[in-house]
Amino acid sequence: MTGSGLASGGINANVWVVALAGAISFGVPLVLAALGEILAERSGVLNLGVEGMMLVGAVSAFLVADATGSPWLALLAAVAAAAALAAVHAFLCVTLRANQIVSGLALVIFGGGVARFVGSSVEGQPRGAEIDPIRIPGLADLPVIGRVAFQQDVLVYATVVVTALVALYIVRTRPGLALRAVGESPATADAAGIAVARVRYVHVIVGGAFAGAGAAYTMLVVVPSWNGAATTDGIGWIALALVVFASWRPWRALAGAVIFGFALRANFTLQAAGITAVPAEILSMLPYLLTIVVLIALAPTAVRRRAGAPSALGQAYVRDER
Amino acid sequence: MIIGSYEVLLEQRTDVRRASALVVPIASILGALVIAGVFLWLTGRPALSVYARLVRDGYGSWYSISDTLGQATPLILTGLAAAFAFRMNLYNIGGEGQLYAGAIGASWAGLAIAPHVSGPVAVLAVLLAGMVGGVLWILIPAIARAFLHTSEIVTTLLFNYVALFLMQYLIFGSSSFWRDPDSKNFPQGRPLPDVAHFPQLHFPRDVAGLDFPSGLTAIHLGLGVAVLAILAVWFLQQRTSFGFDMQVVGSSERAARYAGIPIKRTVIAVMLISGGLAGLAGAGEVGGRAYALDPNGLVLGLGYTGIVVAALSRYNPFAVGLVAVLLAGLRTGADALQGATGPLRVPVAIAFMLEGAILLAALGGEVFRRNRLVVRRIREAPA
Repeated sequence: MTGSGLASGGINANVWVVALAGAISFGVPLVLAALGEILAERSGVLNLGVEGMMLVGAVSAFLVADATGSPWLALLAAVAAAAALAAVHAFLCVTLRANQIVSGLALVIFGGGVARFVGSSVEGQPRGAEIDPIRIPGLADLPVIGRVAFQQDVLVYATVVVTALVALYIVRTRPGLALRAVGESPATADAAGIAVARVRYVHVIVGGAFAGAGAAYTMLVVVPSWNGAATTDGIGWIALALVVFASWRPWRALAGAVIFGFALRANFTLQAAGITAVPAEILSMLPYLLTIVVLIALAPTAVRRRAGAPSALGQAYVRDER
Repeated sequence: MIIGSYEVLLEQRTDVRRASALVVPIASILGALVIAGVFLWLTGRPALSVYARLVRDGYGSWYSISDTLGQATPLILTGLAAAFAFRMNLYNIGGEGQLYAGAIGASWAGLAIAPHVSGPVAVLAVLLAGMVGGVLWILIPAIARAFLHTSEIVTTLLFNYVALFLMQYLIFGSSSFWRDPDSKNFPQGRPLPDVAHFPQLHFPRDVAGLDFPSGLTAIHLGLGVAVLAILAVWFLQQRTSFGFDMQVVGSSERAARYAGIPIKRTVIAVMLISGGLAGLAGAGEVGGRAYALDPNGLVLGLGYTGIVVAALSRYNPFAVGLVAVLLAGLRTGADALQGATGPLRVPVAIAFMLEGAILLAALGGEVFRRNRLVVRRIREAPA
């Protein structure tokens, strides 16, 4: 899309500019949750509990925003709550070596139950604080790109920075090297003196914190009120699919998140564009169907071999005793 | 893990003691009650009284027991659906969506076929169509899993959302065949004709001590279907060559390949049966309880609770029946608590919180069933 397109297309082109800007915003929770899952999975721990952690994070953000009026305290609360739930998963899967898939599902059910329980008295109420967009001086007034990229809120920019940091961390730092070693071959990592359990704990918990941050963004920017399980509406699951889509790489997750963000917003976009031929309920299916199509099209048999999942993903590590 | 001069280890048990089969679940439930109790206490509610009321309203009278059995009916079927597939490491977590699809199929049969046939045939058509709905809903994930190794976990789950929106579209977003044409302002599902209603269990009103105001119970034909399904799943798993194939493919695909077992066909068959069982649950909800396709009246989370049922029963079909009744009681009790007054008024989500907590505790407990905790003094290694 170019500036001349905007000039000739008039209002209709504006709709697409807004749609692109919105897709970036809707993509933030997705990419944050996906980055967290990438960290956990790179250490070899599959955490299917993203949706549960996000619900707990979102309700914590709502309650703290309601009580303090501060979006930043709300963000902090969401991060802490989701990380705490992730710690339960780490304990079950790393220390107790429980089935990671079932533990993740338990996290979704327990997290969803807790969130709905503590949030039931505030369901439907508007949030007590939110994060407003800022205008980058000079750049915000550029045609098209100004609206798309330079009138977002500060967390959008932070997310890009965080993505870069996570990418650098995994590939270029010593702890990142240890992380990859633990995820690919825990026995080898152990023999090299890396504390396998500690690495896994840290990354699962930090991964949960990321999901919490994503949930806080959902609560403070995307969704105006706490709506029980419908607040996150499955974006935790889409984030899981995004990790596969991104082949466990941070930058690809960021790119994918914008595409999925676009699909998540399709309802608003087409409505704004005056297109009503497709019923709202059918449009609402779009992000989920798109995710399914992407997952199937990727045919992981081929992907897995080349740039795929960490080799030890989903496996508990037991050091051979004598 | 090393604490001071002691080393704490989990050591695999060579023998799994029978007693632990009972101790672990009980300890898990107690653990879950403590976890949920913290949240009750935090929200200013007397946990013990809440639990007492929960048990009383869930299992405490013939009336509540019949309600609980009604609630258990779909849970047995979604629990079997999950257990049957999970046993083979096929994680069908789309029971929720397959139940909706089953409800859509069953209500179609109830509306389109039932008026033209006799009672038993109508009911059978509703059941079959529900099963077909569930099977169709898992078809794509099953084929993708068998031929492309696409993770069935995420695909089956995502289809839950698609099913929910489809159901909403049929009733709220269009004037579909399922929508009651007389409901203009408040769209509702078209009511099923009486002939398609499942027979319900009647209690004679004059039986001493039984307090049934109407004589009607929530127990319907679906419970019988669920019990038959338990037996069928057990038979299939334990007494047929297909059950043997399942076991081999589930434990080692390589072994299955050497044994000449058709892996893809087995995977697809297991997933389709799993979807069909969840679809049956949807048929029961339409034919035995709601009598229409009703997105608002449908009990939500039956598919997800089925996962809890399956995991707690360690995929044993008979245990599925017991656990389903146990968790159904929580739901009956929670429903009643929601309507209570004062500090005992508790959001119905307590049932989900308890279910999740029980599952988490059981996962932890399972480890202690298979392993023992060993604490030993570390000897100084010779320098």
